[in-house]
Amino acid sequence: MLNKSVILIGSLIRLVLLLTILHPSCIKAADAQELKSLQVHGFLSQGYIKTTSTRNDVFGDSTRGRGSFDFREIGVNASYRPLTNLQFSGQLLSRQTGEDSKGGIRIDYGFVDYTAITTEAKEFGIRLGRTKNPFGFYNETRDVPFTRPSILLPQSIYFDRARNLGLASDGVQLYGESRADWGDITVQFVTGFPQVDDKSTEAAILRKNQPGDLTTRLSYLGRMIYERDGGRLRLGVSGAQVNAGYDPAARDFLSAGSIEFVPLIFSAQYNAEHWSITSEYALRYIELKNFHPLVDQSFTGESFYFQGIYRFNPAWEAVLRYDVLFTDRKDRDGSEWRAKTGLPADSRFAKDLTVGVRWNITPAIMLRGEYHRVNGTAWLSTLDNPDPAFTDQHWNLFAAQISYRF
Amino acid sequence: MAARITEHCWGCIFLLFLLICAPLAVSATQTSDPVEVIVHSGVGIRHLSRNSLRAIFGMRLRAWQDGSPIRVFVLPDDAPLHNLFAKEKLNIFPYQLRSAWDRLIFSGTGQAPFLVNSEEEMRVRVATTPGAIGYLKRVNIDDSIQILHVE
Repeated sequence: MLNKSVILIGSLIRLVLLLTILHPSCIKAADAQELKSLQVHGFLSQGYIKTTSTRNDVFGDSTRGRGSFDFREIGVNASYRPLTNLQFSGQLLSRQTGEDSKGGIRIDYGFVDYTAITTEAKEFGIRLGRTKNPFGFYNETRDVPFTRPSILLPQSIYFDRARNLGLASDGVQLYGESRADWGDITVQFVTGFPQVDDKSTEAAILRKNQPGDLTTRLSYLGRMIYERDGGRLRLGVSGAQVNAGYDPAARDFLSAGSIEFVPLIFSAQYNAEHWSITSEYALRYIELKNFHPLVDQSFTGESFYFQGIYRFNPAWEAVLRYDVLFTDRKDRDGSEWRAKTGLPADSRFAKDLTVGVRWNITPAIMLRGEYHRVNGTAWLSTLDNPDPAFTDQHWNLFAAQISYRF
Repeated sequence: MAARITEHCWGCIFLLFLLICAPLAVSATQTSDPVEVIVHSGVGIRHLSRNSLRAIFGMRLRAWQDGSPIRVFVLPDDAPLHNLFAKEKLNIFPYQLRSAWDRLIFSGTGQAPFLVNSEEEMRVRVATTPGAIGYLKRVNIDDSIQILHVE
């Protein structure tokens, strides 16, 4: 335990040092008039979560008296563009969210981007390395507080508990863009290996941290986004086939099974001067096979949300969202699940009504607060809540977060 | 159970309705000086479509027709002239530019524009940087830079 915190403090110090060295003001001083083809950006946030009238924990021990401050996001990235059509990019990320992410530093992305064809109306290129998965509207920048519509992303689609499965791919990304008067189309296609080496993803899929390990397998992902009038209307469709295997331990009741995860997401957004409306709908097919007769199953989940944002002025905005998740769309109330497993029916759905405010204190500092009224526990972290019987169906969540960017 | 969901849904729809219908609180403070797109004198073109201008300021179109790099200069997000430029010349809102840039910056798929802190700095940087593009109030434009006409 002590060892762990020493490591944590050590890595934090290193990160702060890195931030200091890479701070843009230093670079600016070094080559004030130079054209910076090297750019450094980053963010830092501290969050707070309190869940009330419930035993459900989110991002740490949020049920106890003073709530949980076990919620931090730190990221720093650098990009270098030596030629107009060549860019190197990388980002380090440290994320602390209860038992799911313990704050270690990892490479969020790191790749080389070569634009093979570029004209005023068209673009086509390739990215090699670890790229963020283009998925829905928010996945690529899901850990950057400023780019989210709220502190917690709609958990029905951007679930945090098995987040690594959809986070990034090590492989090849092809991209193309077409710009015309009737709208812009951006297409991305990824072939690569997902990251499955964290215990949170394992616990979410196999119900608890199993003795063996998940192994990554070649997966495919694609997204197309259509934007009209410079993004006033945005429509997207994303699809993927994410594959993983299982490497059993010496004594393991599970065999070398495989997981196939096939999500399909439809996204729509309308942006006006003072308000934006966003909605996304997802179908998720999950198949577990060759693990164990009791574990093997396949089902299709369903998720959607409606979200409205109102900007009172450039500094203040409010968000309202209704977010629904069904783990199995053929068993929306979880009753079959309860009959089959004896586990609570409410662990198979979640309906979350969220209201929140955002205050941009300066363009670089943001303060947020929000309230969630949730019915169901389907997206609760299995690691923060190891015993499904020790959860509550109806619960409240308050969250606050302060974030800084550069 | 069903009643509860219905209740939630209606509450949601009602609040969305409020959001949409809420009066447009602040109308933009229009300055009397129109804003113009400016480029470095070495940039060969004098006319550009609004679409291409959006792609340039959205940091997606990175090279001029001759292949030389485009250098984009902007004022801070909360500068009144930035707001005016986004609305008049690009026909989009400053928050959309910010989220488009952030998507590029924090996924590694692009870079941010160069930030200048005053109109004077904008004029000097665009005048002295090959391939530069920016914007200024018409009254502050002199012979050191070129105006780019948006079609």
